[in-house]
Amino acid sequence: MRLAKNPGLHRLIAVVIAGSMLGACVTSRVENVREGNTGILEGEGVVIMAKSYHLGNETEAKFIACVGDSIGRGKSGLRVIPNNEFVDALFPWFEPRTAPAETKGLPTLMSRPGVAEMIKQKGVRYVVWLDGDTDKVAGGGSLSCAAGPGGGGCFGFAWWQNDSNYQASVWDLSGLEDAGTVSADVSGTSFLPAIVVPIPLIARTQNKACNALADQLKLFIVSEDAA
Amino acid sequence: MSRSLKSVAEHSRVEYGTNAFVFAQINGYTGVQLSFLEVTNLKSRRLKAASALAVIFSMAGCGGSSVKLQNPSIPEPLIDKLPLKVAARYPEVFDHFVHEEQVIGKEKWSIDLGQANRMLFTQLFGSMFTEFSVIDADDDARDLGLDALIEPSIDAFEFSVPSQSQTEDFAVWIRYRIKIFDTDGVQVANWPIAAYGKSMTTTFGGDAALQRAAILAMRDAAALIILQMDKATGISKLSSAKKSNAETAPAVPTPESEPINLHTTAAEEPSDETR
Repeated sequence: MRLAKNPGLHRLIAVVIAGSMLGACVTSRVENVREGNTGILEGEGVVIMAKSYHLGNETEAKFIACVGDSIGRGKSGLRVIPNNEFVDALFPWFEPRTAPAETKGLPTLMSRPGVAEMIKQKGVRYVVWLDGDTDKVAGGGSLSCAAGPGGGGCFGFAWWQNDSNYQASVWDLSGLEDAGTVSADVSGTSFLPAIVVPIPLIARTQNKACNALADQLKLFIVSEDAA
Repeated sequence: MSRSLKSVAEHSRVEYGTNAFVFAQINGYTGVQLSFLEVTNLKSRRLKAASALAVIFSMAGCGGSSVKLQNPSIPEPLIDKLPLKVAARYPEVFDHFVHEEQVIGKEKWSIDLGQANRMLFTQLFGSMFTEFSVIDADDDARDLGLDALIEPSIDAFEFSVPSQSQTEDFAVWIRYRIKIFDTDGVQVANWPIAAYGKSMTTTFGGDAALQRAAILAMRDAAALIILQMDKATGISKLSSAKKSNAETAPAVPTPESEPINLHTTAAEEPSDETR
């Protein structure tokens, strides 16, 4: 009620929303290296995993979920088996400590009791191992905000640069081989000018890397028919 | 003036005098602004809002939490069971384990594992051996016709929070120790296990991230035990050893008789402890 009667507040909200929707500068590079033929049949799916933190990997769980969602979305979406479901079903063989680090460990893994059967039952054709993270590499400026009984506001200017570097290794479980890698390198600078109202111009590098990597992975997996 | 100030103090339970500090943090840049609260003509709603803000901001930086693990479980492992009749005897600490971590000058964290360790090992050993039971401290294992008695314990439990590691990670380290006794009560293995779990605070939030890290550490221990227990302790030999002992050796072990094969780490001396 109070909101509807306050056009000034409307304008303020509109400015903040418009500002937050404006994109900041982002540059991206997506590459793939193919090691073998790919292709996927009906009923087959992929599982998105993070490389083990025992190996120093820092990939964010949020990013893994994002890639999984993006690969499964849309008309050309692939069947994505939830990461937790896969890891639990194959316990203890895909725990951070025990998961194979290279494809040459796959034959041994598949010979373990129940593993090949469970993978077949889950319909997993590809395991995609994600590696990398998003880092803030630079930043500067200053911004201060104050609030009092008469109102509040911010003044200043801040900026920061984020780099999102991710690599996805695609393992084909039907041939027990490395199908190749897809990498996304996204860099962007965010700005936050504020004259009373802060107007965020955010470079969503992680989100951009997620979508770019997922789109390229979809193409990578379906583009050649290995059936 | 004095009446209004009294009202502020009553709402916030914090004595501010005539000044209040308001902190705002935006995208990692912390600005500090001093505002003079002219409270004389404030309406009641503003007073409430201001006092609430004052309390919230005054509490910033006083983090810390108490986390309780609620019945964690491990999935059913994809393994072949060892054909052994095994029992486990747990220490009292497995029924109620609490660990506290004080970050110097900052927050205090505590984690209550409750019966999580008892549940973990019961579920794990139940999946690893064809016959498994849990015995009490005063039960005599030699009367039960076991192939082996396992006594797990916790040597150490540690965790780190983001303010310590300067990362976004909660990390948990658990060092378990597994002692194995043969059918005669002779200790045949003394095996330390170091397990580790890590979880990001941005993904699960503080409490949930610490819980998740603890569960991952326990799963890590379970995976390690499944993978290496037989190799490290030789437990699978105990069944056949019992049979061959029954056929060839005297029924009552002599004091000179040696343990079958005492497995320890290189850093540890074999113990002659018997049960």
